[in-house]
Parts: sequence; structure tokens; C-alpha cells
Amino acid sequence: MAALSASGVTRRGLAWVVLGAPRREFWSRFRKEKKPLVPETVEEVKEKPILVCPPLRSRTYIPPEDLQSRVESCVREIFGSSVPSSWQDVSLEDGHLKFGLLSRLADDLGHAVPNSRLHQMCRVRDVLDFYNVPIHDRSKFDELIASNLPPNLKITWGY
Amino acid sequence: PRGELRDDAADSPAAARAWRRPTGCRGLNAVAEEAVPQAAKPEAVGSAGPQEPVLRRCELPVPAPRRPVQAWVESLRGYEQERVGLAELHPEVFSTAPRLDILHQVAIWQRNFKRISYAKTKTRAEVQGGGRKPWPQKGSGRSRHGSIRSPIWRGGGIAHGPRGPTSYYYMLPMKVRVQGLKVALTVKLAQDDLHIVDSLELPTSDPQYLTELARYRHWGDSVLLVDLAYENMPQNIVAATTGLKTFNLIPAVGLNVYSMLKHQTLVLTLQTLAFLEEKLLWHDSRYTPLYPFRLPYRDFP
Repeated sequence: MAALSASGVTRRGLAWVVLGAPRREFWSRFRKEKKPLVPETVEEVKEKPILVCPPLRSRTYIPPEDLQSRVESCVREIFGSSVPSSWQDVSLEDGHLKFGLLSRLADDLGHAVPNSRLHQMCRVRDVLDFYNVPIHDRSKFDELIASNLPPNLKITWGY
Repeated sequence: PRGELRDDAADSPAAARAWRRPTGCRGLNAVAEEAVPQAAKPEAVGSAGPQEPVLRRCELPVPAPRRPVQAWVESLRGYEQERVGLAELHPEVFSTAPRLDILHQVAIWQRNFKRISYAKTKTRAEVQGGGRKPWPQKGSGRSRHGSIRSPIWRGGGIAHGPRGPTSYYYMLPMKVRVQGLKVALTVKLAQDDLHIVDSLELPTSDPQYLTELARYRHWGDSVLLVDLAYENMPQNIVAATTGLKTFNLIPAVGLNVYSMLKHQTLVLTLQTLAFLEEKLLWHDSRYTPLYPFRLPYRDFP
């Protein structure tokens, strides 16, 4: 842009020298051409949606106390009113229902069933057992340090 | 002057025909209109709203006692779109026995079969000089020698050194290589490193978006993205991956065990999934070839 404008100025400067026309008209034309460009670029930048990364989540999961009631309410929402009293034995064969239930629970509790264990979720009981297991994000070293060690064992994390 | 040219083009019929909108523009619109109903297959409707999941069934028959394995279908269009649908994966491909020995065989084969080592040393015959006996056999008091270029001499030839370009080419049977791919896919799924994506379309071509997405979804440091073919790869993903070293984009025919082990995460599209299942499962029930497979067959997938 700067190179183009510089060449334009020099060309017009030379033309003025050659033609002998007054300088002000050329400079005013140059200034008018330059101005409308600036507001256009500002508007374009504002129109693009800014994708902001949401804050990083930790993988720790602690099952809430009312887990069973939450799961039961989700099951009743997804499966409708045709749920027998033994709601834990409801089978998740149908893709729509399984997807609906598992995605609802994942959004609710902030913890999703990983790909490797999706095929094990055949009944609502399996889902309940999965969500009852707490998951910690600590490494093995941190767990060892936090646990009760005998007095003659020291762990130094020297990295 | 530019306006005058346009008027001329509009007036004269021949110039108007030449100047009319190129068929590519109309063709693009037409293709887009056709593509929308084609994409809305009864089994894979997904992009309409959050209510309609993308469900993918196994096209190839699953043997009776085994049941398909499943995986979430994700989307790359937004950070939070992690559960867009549910895909069923064929158990013979994604849940075979974890044969680590086959994985090792295939990975080592991949490293070695292309290897040609160009190391070469000169033997005592090839080193310049050394044809004459340096001193007579008896009488000089020094030890007896026949040439100055024997291996025990400084500057002499090498006795058992590398000889010329050596090729380490060997081929494992095709079924072993196919089983290696199946085992690698099984291992990736079992260790939660496999992700299925509906398509590799990104909202921006910024590489940072891709890295932040991988960071947010805990994918890992290196990601291998697999699309179906070179031709229809979206521009955004191509631009994003060319800038990145640990995020690599390959077509489905380029999938191999070494790359899958090298990258921490594997991301497949739904089309790639169908392609891989068809190609890999055909070998389970094929006849032994009467002529090599590289020659045309009528029913080769």
C-alpha cells in the first residue's frame, strides 16, 4: 500500500512537472482517495466473530450426592413417561435415546463417557456405576506424596 | 476508460457472451443446492440443530456374537461442540485382539523396507597401491608382509566393512499389514486417543484455533487428521495444518501404523471411517489372488 501510494505520488509529481497543472488539485485528489479506505477496513474487522477459547477444564470429577436423582430425572425426561419403576434396567439400544441421555448427563455433570467405554453402557445401571467413580487429575507422584509414607521414604521431584 | 469498456461488452452480443458470469459461479451454487439434500441422508442428519444427533450405523455386517463399538462424533466448528452424534464402529476393525507383536512387526517393517544404506569401504584389493611385496620375506629383520594395504596396516583396506549399497527391502504379507492397521485403530480407540469428526471444516484458517481446540479437549501434543481424499480437503484445515508441525493432515490412503503411533491423537472423519472399514474388512473374506492386486480386478474395493 505504501509502495503503491509512493509510486502514485511520484508519478503524479512528475506529471505535474510535465503538464504544469496546479499542485493543490492533485494533492487533494490523492487525499480524497486515501480517506474512504480507512473506515472500510475498520468495519470489516469488527464484523468477523471473535472465537474465544473457553477456560480450560480440569479432568477431576467428584460424583455429587444427588447423582441418582439427577440420573433418574434425566432418564424420565429423555425416555418420556413410559419408564417402569425399575428405571435402572432400561436398555440403551436405541441410538437417539442413548445419545440424548449420555449427552444430557455429560453437559449436566461436566464429565463425559470416554469413547473406549461407550460400548459398555448398555443399561442405565452401567451409566450410573460409571458416574459413581470419582476421577482425579493428579499424577502418580503427587498421589504418593499426598499419601501416608513411612518416615524413612522421601520422594523428591527434582525436575 | 473502464466504464467505457464495460458498456461495450454489454452492448455487443458476442462480447456479452464472453463476459457473462463464468459457469463456475452458477455451477457452485447448483452444486451447493444439490449437495444439501445429498448430505441430509436418513442416517446422518446432523447440522440442523442441537436436537438432531448424527448417528452412524455400520454398513458392513457385524458377525452375530460381537456387537459394534461406539464413539462420539465431534465437530471442529466450535470449541464446545464435543458431542454432535454417536458413531458405531465395526468390532473386527476397532476391537480386535491387541496384537502388539504385529504392531511392532509392521512399524519396524515401515522403517526398514525403504532403507538403502550407502555405506561402502574399500577392501585391500580396492585401496590404491599395495601390489608389491614391501621387503623380501627373509633377511630384513622386520615382520613378513605381502602388501602395504592389508587390513593390519595403517591406511590399509577394511576386512569386513560395509560393502556397497545394501537394501533392507522385505515385504510382510498383505494380511499382516492389514491386521497391523486394525490393531493400531483398536489400540487408539481403547486408549481414548481416537476421535471421530463429522467433517474437517474450521471456522477460521488460524492455526492457533486448532491448537487451542486440541488443548481444550485434552487431545494431546500431536494430532493426526485423516480426510478422505486430497481433492475435497477444506481450505481452512489445509492452511491451518501447513503452519503447524505437530498437527498433520493426510488422506485416507496415507494412514499407516508408524504415523498412528507417532502422533498421540487420531482424528477420523465419517467418510474416512466408511472407507477404512470397507477396505480393511474385505481382506477377511477374500480369495488368494491369482494375479497381483495392482492389476485391475472387477470387485476390488
